[in-house]
Amino acid sequence: MELLARILHISPQTFWMIAKVIIVFAGPLTLAAILTWVERRGSAMIQDRIGPNRALLFGRWRLLGLPQLAADGIKFFMKEDLVAEEANNTLFWLAPLMAFVPAMMGFAVIPFGRDFTEAGRTYSLSLLDPGNGMGMLYPMAIGAVAVYGILTASWSSNNKWSILGGMRASAQMVSYEIGMSLAVIAIFMTTGGYDPHQIVAAQAKTWNVFPHIFGFLVFFTCMFAETNRLPFDFAEGESEIVAGFHTEYGSMKFALLQLSEYVHMVTAAALIVTLYFGGWQIPGMAHPPVLLSIGAFVVKWVFFCWVFIWIRWTIPRFRFDQLMFLGWKVMLPLSMGNLLVHAYFMHRWG
Amino acid sequence: MFLIFALITLLGALSVAFQKNLVVAGLCMVITFFGVAGLYLLLANPVAAALQIIVYSGAIVVLLLFVIMLLSAHEEEDAQSVHSVQRWGSVAAALALAAGVVKVVLSSGFLRGAASGPAPANMNLERVGTALFAEHLVAFEAVGLLLLAAMIGAVTLVKKDL
Repeated sequence: MELLARILHISPQTFWMIAKVIIVFAGPLTLAAILTWVERRGSAMIQDRIGPNRALLFGRWRLLGLPQLAADGIKFFMKEDLVAEEANNTLFWLAPLMAFVPAMMGFAVIPFGRDFTEAGRTYSLSLLDPGNGMGMLYPMAIGAVAVYGILTASWSSNNKWSILGGMRASAQMVSYEIGMSLAVIAIFMTTGGYDPHQIVAAQAKTWNVFPHIFGFLVFFTCMFAETNRLPFDFAEGESEIVAGFHTEYGSMKFALLQLSEYVHMVTAAALIVTLYFGGWQIPGMAHPPVLLSIGAFVVKWVFFCWVFIWIRWTIPRFRFDQLMFLGWKVMLPLSMGNLLVHAYFMHRWG
Repeated sequence: MFLIFALITLLGALSVAFQKNLVVAGLCMVITFFGVAGLYLLLANPVAAALQIIVYSGAIVVLLLFVIMLLSAHEEEDAQSVHSVQRWGSVAAALALAAGVVKVVLSSGFLRGAASGPAPANMNLERVGTALFAEHLVAFEAVGLLLLAAMIGAVTLVKKDL
């Protein structure tokens, strides 16, 4: 650390800040890109197909279809950029950015490894240092803003299917946010703090998923609703409203909308790991080495990304009234009950 | 920093007022709320900033836009007849409000204390919680009751057969 910083003629803090920005930007983005490939290969595996395997690197290397990613990128950039005639031009251009920027911001608070000390300084492995005062409120705020990308995209396309998709998405995200927040509040309560570093540290003995099993179920379901993934992908709903909010989108703008969905999924998986599965903690190891702790986080993280894909290709889409029923009459009482039971236990036995 | 966020807030608010398109006006409102959240951050209150974004940007304006999109008219309509009394009356009311706000801010003792005293510590969720439930418990419960009443009122207004 010190050596690298001295070579670049900057202070270690600045060096570490830049390094973290690069990690936090590149990590989720790379994983999201790889997930687009995993999704296609995984869906093929689940449905007993072969999946994309035709793209070859330099006409020679197949690499399990991974060159498909590069082919996709080139194709999206080369496509003609179409804008619907009656669309609101400015918003139509802004919408993919409004979807993508919040998606990329969400990961900033998540601790992806154990803090380490070098030459008397403590370096924490999350972009926002602990004690910033925002804590877990930050990803929730960012998640709440994410809906604007979809809303703007749907409205500016001036297409009735798009608007239907956008309205479904906004109703769904707002109603699932309440259950999610209550589930998270129960964790704040038992942890006695709301900083992700504190939450991870409090899970050294038992992961939160065991005492908070109902909270976890609610949070997990709400994450599907928040990321607009099947079984809750009403914003798209191919069989009902063409492609929902991105019906009119093509070329790289479509790619950005699609990529932001995957980045959301990556962030959601990281949140689940941090809140319920001990973050970088390894069971039975009090102080794992830093690299091992990063490895543990990445393993859990990738596993939950896979769960998102796994569920998408296993469960069919709900109906919209079923979604609302589930959100308001099952998830909300469940998370309220979870909160009350934990409050009672804390009151009774400290 | 203060100037940037103040400009974002002001420009956002002005475009809400002058934008003819209701959806764009709603989005400008979101920008205004982000500016206000930034101002809260500068006031060493990250909790208020986060709550501002969660509640106002994340929930209230989404519902607002939801309602606007449900309506068919997305453009502001021209008035059928111009009432100059209304126009000047609104300008006078706005000026009176602005004067009142400026007077209150200038006369507060905090303004003199803040310049000389030490910088306040960062607000955190624990302190917000104790302030709400220890010092302002009655007001907190009253607000909760009021919101419940408003909710039930809205339901009875909308439902024809209960």
